Amino acid sequence: MKFKKFVVAMLCVAMVGMFAACGGGSSDSGSGDASGAITINIWDANQQEGIQEICNDWTAQGNPEVKVEVIDWDNYWTLLEAGASGGELPDVFWMHSDYAQIYMENDVLLDLTEYIEKDGIDLGQYYPDITAIYQSDGKTYALPKDHDTIALLYNKALFDEAGVDYPTDDWTYEDMYEAAKTITEKTADDTYGFALNTSNDQDGWYNYVYAYGANIVNTEKTDTAIDSAEGKAAMEMVRKLLTVGTPQAVVSESGTDSLFQSGKVAMITQGSWMINAFYTAENHDDYAWAQIPYCDRNGDGQCQKEERQTCYNGLGWAAAANTKNPDAAASLIEYLCSKDAQVKQAQLGVTMAGIPGISDEFANAFEGMDVSAFTKVEEDGTLFARPGTRNSGVWKNPMEQEQGFLPAWQNPSDAALMETACDNVAKLIRDAIANEK
Amino acid sequence: MKEKRPMTAKQKNEAIWAYAFVAPTIIGLIVLNFYPAIDTVWQSFCKTGDFGKGNTFVGLENYSKAFASSEVLQSILNTIKYAIIEVPFGVIIALILAVFLNRKLKGTSFFRTVFFLPMVCAPAAVAMVWKWLYNQQFGLFNNVLHANIGWISDPKIAWISVGIIGVWSIIGYNMVLFISGLQEIPGDYYEAAEIDGATGIRQFFDITVPLLSPTTFFIVQTRIIGALTIFDLMFMVMDRTNQALSKVQSTVYVFYEYSFNQGNKGYGAAIVMILVVFIMIVTVIMQRAEKRFVFYN
Repeated sequence: MKFKKFVVAMLCVAMVGMFAACGGGSSDSGSGDASGAITINIWDANQQEGIQEICNDWTAQGNPEVKVEVIDWDNYWTLLEAGASGGELPDVFWMHSDYAQIYMENDVLLDLTEYIEKDGIDLGQYYPDITAIYQSDGKTYALPKDHDTIALLYNKALFDEAGVDYPTDDWTYEDMYEAAKTITEKTADDTYGFALNTSNDQDGWYNYVYAYGANIVNTEKTDTAIDSAEGKAAMEMVRKLLTVGTPQAVVSESGTDSLFQSGKVAMITQGSWMINAFYTAENHDDYAWAQIPYCDRNGDGQCQKEERQTCYNGLGWAAAANTKNPDAAASLIEYLCSKDAQVKQAQLGVTMAGIPGISDEFANAFEGMDVSAFTKVEEDGTLFARPGTRNSGVWKNPMEQEQGFLPAWQNPSDAALMETACDNVAKLIRDAIANEK
Repeated sequence: MKEKRPMTAKQKNEAIWAYAFVAPTIIGLIVLNFYPAIDTVWQSFCKTGDFGKGNTFVGLENYSKAFASSEVLQSILNTIKYAIIEVPFGVIIALILAVFLNRKLKGTSFFRTVFFLPMVCAPAAVAMVWKWLYNQQFGLFNNVLHANIGWISDPKIAWISVGIIGVWSIIGYNMVLFISGLQEIPGDYYEAAEIDGATGIRQFFDITVPLLSPTTFFIVQTRIIGALTIFDLMFMVMDRTNQALSKVQSTVYVFYEYSFNQGNKGYGAAIVMILVVFIMIVTVIMQRAEKRFVFYN
């Protein structure tokens, strides 16, 4: 009988735990509590500290207190969507190009147009593609927080071990393949010259596709060129690299970043938002950045601007339409997107600014590590906006899974499989676009 | 036959209090369970708009799409395969442990606690730990075995690996229920059996198993339902680009993918309704089986 009591007690504990978990979830994200504090939600823990510091500057000017909370990417959108349907949203939060259109069309975001006019904010100072992401029907719903570019990250120790010259800014994708091949052959069995996961899209294979002259979604968002001759040539290059790169099975378990930091991979491509993770890593002395390779399309042995392409994207600072304190939220957003705050954001090394011309502050933020590859590409290459349609989720995940590129990724030795995958992906994207109408 | 008499004032007062006491539960059930359930049925017949606004009725379109989708059918098969591992092994191992831990020995409460611990851990934490144990490059299992096995990325064995986590997580809970069931069995039976010269194994199969059958049935039934609605293990352990995912992902996982990643709530609702009907059928079969296999004294 004593044991029954034990069971009952255990079940009670479990029940209380459940209720506590439910309660905790809902109270976390309340729209501005009575004290008037502003809640900010973001998804990148690397940036929390810097953003909190910038927000504290705003608070010091006689404004309410700001609380920055981090929720990882997948849960962030689940939570935001639940908030948008049920009404409980953080006051100020990040918007992303994949989701912006749907949120803007459904009156979830606070319309900032009036505030911008009243306070005389010059929208022309930002990167135009990024400003455009957060505008709908002539209204502005978010201001550009930052922009990002992609570069090649390499591990000098592994290059030395294999006796290969370090990557330069003149590398083509062919050069990268040759180097990866040699490193894979000359190092330990579980160490590879290169790694790429299907889900490394913005920071990975998207850049190849555009450098080879194709696109994922055209600028009018009506079609894709992934199944064109150029698109297939780009994916053929990806396939070749995969034959000498880390197998997909390993990459999907450990992730390219962990593999790189463990010294199992010599090269990966990475976005500027991840610099801090590698800057603070244990073996950061071995790490260095080079510009993303280019594709010598016209065969003149030189890199023209359109032959080096880097995907770029920018987050937007948005506020909830139903925030209890719209004036403060709008004022905070204007502050965060002002030149001063963006310079500070760059100086702190949080991210590159949403305003052009602050590159140097960012490049200097990482003492002892040369990150100019991210800023030089803006002059030597072309920036293309991260491809997306109204509801990109419908094609984006399937494209990276069984229905899309994954089978070809698993069996890189089979060239025909990659060609079929390009056709399948093109169909996925076209079907998704057709359904959006 | 008694005639219905009007309630006395005292009875009425009691009834009001009775309603007042059950009201919180009833209201909670209606708001949190019944309303969403009915809304899900309705949504499964709709092409849903963004953020639950602007749903349009499309009849059985979502259902015909789901039944024609190899992804959905494969996910039902995956879920059944998971249940086939989790339920029998979870029950048998828990029963054996319960029998051992029901004895009057030193340290039983220590072991009871140890076996119950997985139940107290957050499922997400459990999944993260196992994910690293299974990791092909850096995982403990491959390091100890000096092997290079893709525990969770080889489509042939990934479903078993995930099933093992499920068994490990649930044996403690099943064991606790079995122990309380065992304590209901009067000791006289075992004494009588011992006098008649029955061995321990004979006692187990002829006394323990039949007399424990109500508990076993309860556990099997609730665990089948639990296993068929599994989601967190697959979600936490397997990366989106894992090549084995399509052979492991459960029906609820597919529902999550469509409802939340692709924003297609109507189709997601249809998938989950198919699962509900399937669970209902299994439950009916179980209830029929109860009469044949369960021994109530």
